[in-house]
Amino acid sequence: MTPHVKKSQALAVAVVSALAGIAATLLTLAGVLPPHADAAAWVIAFPAFVLGLYLYWMAREGEPDIPFVGY
Amino acid sequence: MNEIGGVPLFFLEFGDIVTYFSPFTLTLFLLALVFTVFVVVSRPERQIDIAFGADAFFAKEISLPELRFRRFMAIACGLACMGAMVTGDVFDFTLFVSLVGICNVGIVAAVRTYHVRDAAYQYGLVALAGTVPLFSAAAMVAATTGTLSMLELASPAAPPVPLIARALLVLGVMGEGMAPFYAAKAEMFRAPGAPYVIMCSLSSLLIFLRVTEVVLLL
Amino acid sequence: MIAELLFGTAFGLLLLGIHRKVIARIQRRPGPPVWQEILHMLKFSFKTTWVPATASAVLFVGVVLVAIGIWTAALFVVLSGESLLIIFGIYMLHKIVEHGFGLSSGSPYGKFGGVRSVISAASEIPLFVSIAGIALFTHSLMISDIVAYQEVHGPLLLTVPLAGLAMYLVVLSKMPFGPFSIVESKELVSGYKTEHFGVWRAGLEVCNGLKTYVLLTTFLLVFVGNMPFLLLLAGMLVLTVSLSFACALCPMLSPYDSVTVQTIVAGLMLAYVSVLVVVS
Repeated sequence: MTPHVKKSQALAVAVVSALAGIAATLLTLAGVLPPHADAAAWVIAFPAFVLGLYLYWMAREGEPDIPFVGY
Repeated sequence: MNEIGGVPLFFLEFGDIVTYFSPFTLTLFLLALVFTVFVVVSRPERQIDIAFGADAFFAKEISLPELRFRRFMAIACGLACMGAMVTGDVFDFTLFVSLVGICNVGIVAAVRTYHVRDAAYQYGLVALAGTVPLFSAAAMVAATTGTLSMLELASPAAPPVPLIARALLVLGVMGEGMAPFYAAKAEMFRAPGAPYVIMCSLSSLLIFLRVTEVVLLL
Repeated sequence: MIAELLFGTAFGLLLLGIHRKVIARIQRRPGPPVWQEILHMLKFSFKTTWVPATASAVLFVGVVLVAIGIWTAALFVVLSGESLLIIFGIYMLHKIVEHGFGLSSGSPYGKFGGVRSVISAASEIPLFVSIAGIALFTHSLMISDIVAYQEVHGPLLLTVPLAGLAMYLVVLSKMPFGPFSIVESKELVSGYKTEHFGVWRAGLEVCNGLKTYVLLTTFLLVFVGNMPFLLLLAGMLVLTVSLSFACALCPMLSPYDSVTVQTIVAGLMLAYVSVLVVVS
């Protein structure tokens, strides 16, 4: 079985990637980072943000109501 | 240098062999890197197959020696592919491409199924034949222009590369790369061991992409 | 940047919803509401999710990340007017992603969807590369240069209409329910995405929205030229409706027929480009 994703871990992934992307955008606008650095950051951060957010709001902390019967 | 794949971001010089990263080659390089990492860290899937004539199914397992060999071949293929993506030398490019071909044969030939091995053998013959136009293209480029450096060949002052050399280069890559033009052999692509089979199709499509740039550049 | 990404995803999914609605109306069904694909994406994201016991776990999850990542990159490439060759590359890598989706689960349905994806690459990629024939006129493959060329010389759709047709077929091949959508045809359940459920499928929907947005934007920028933003959106809508008509009125081809049709068109395109080379 795959390990369970904790709600807090998924939220952490989503928040960290979103903040990293926004920070990269702001720093690029301010001229600290070279041009296209924000694009490169979002290419990595956006997929992590999407999956982290979705895993966060679907993750269940309790026992599953229907037991997994396996293959 | 004209901007087929975007303005080069930085150059890495190994003596007179210059590796360059343009947005295009960098994108391809990173993708090859990501999938090589997948090959290193992921376990193969257990492919489910239906038992004909019965209400049953079974999972195909990959034995450990087979897994080790195919993983090694897939990693070698990924490294060769990364090299072919960023090299700035026509001969190096052909070398890396032929290495990709050899590794692709290795990835599928280790599968212990008659049909897959048969397909791998046939593809091996194609890849072997593909090296002839591939290396003759590099030889013709060197003979007609006196240089193999893509950066020098791309400059307007460079002598023109004959059309036949470009055509042979494309033909050679089509022979080496398994995925787009040899994909009708579905047996190879549905062999178990997803991360390794993915590396076959990834490397072939990537070298095909890169040769498009090389041919337009020359 | 995040604003463009979120808008691109939502608008792309809206276009896919309109696509379904138009197909349904042509076939005299009521059809789903136009925002159905956005709801789909949200619905899948609330579903219970795990990784199948037979799957190659890292590849199973990683390929979803790669799918969203490459089309995010493609959006930035189009927005910053970089090389059209990178869009070719990303389109081709999408084939790898489809292959990865199908192979990683171990399901025979997904596997066949993946194999079909690789087979159709043999015909779709030459089709796409033949668009490079426009470089004969623009002398560059940078999207910004192509747009600048059209400011002076008028839309490329009028100069090289057949190249426009090839690109149209490429976009059509990527629309769901179309004549070339063999990778997700119903005899394979859902093709390559059969085993990706819950959050993984929601991630795939995000990728589909971005992909539709990027491909339609590329078509309009490369063949019609620069235009105000609202006109661009209207153009994408018109293009989607025309694609929906093509999808609704054509039966899905069998895999080898699909490849044959695309190969014939690609062959004609290459002949057309060589004629252009000789003439110019």
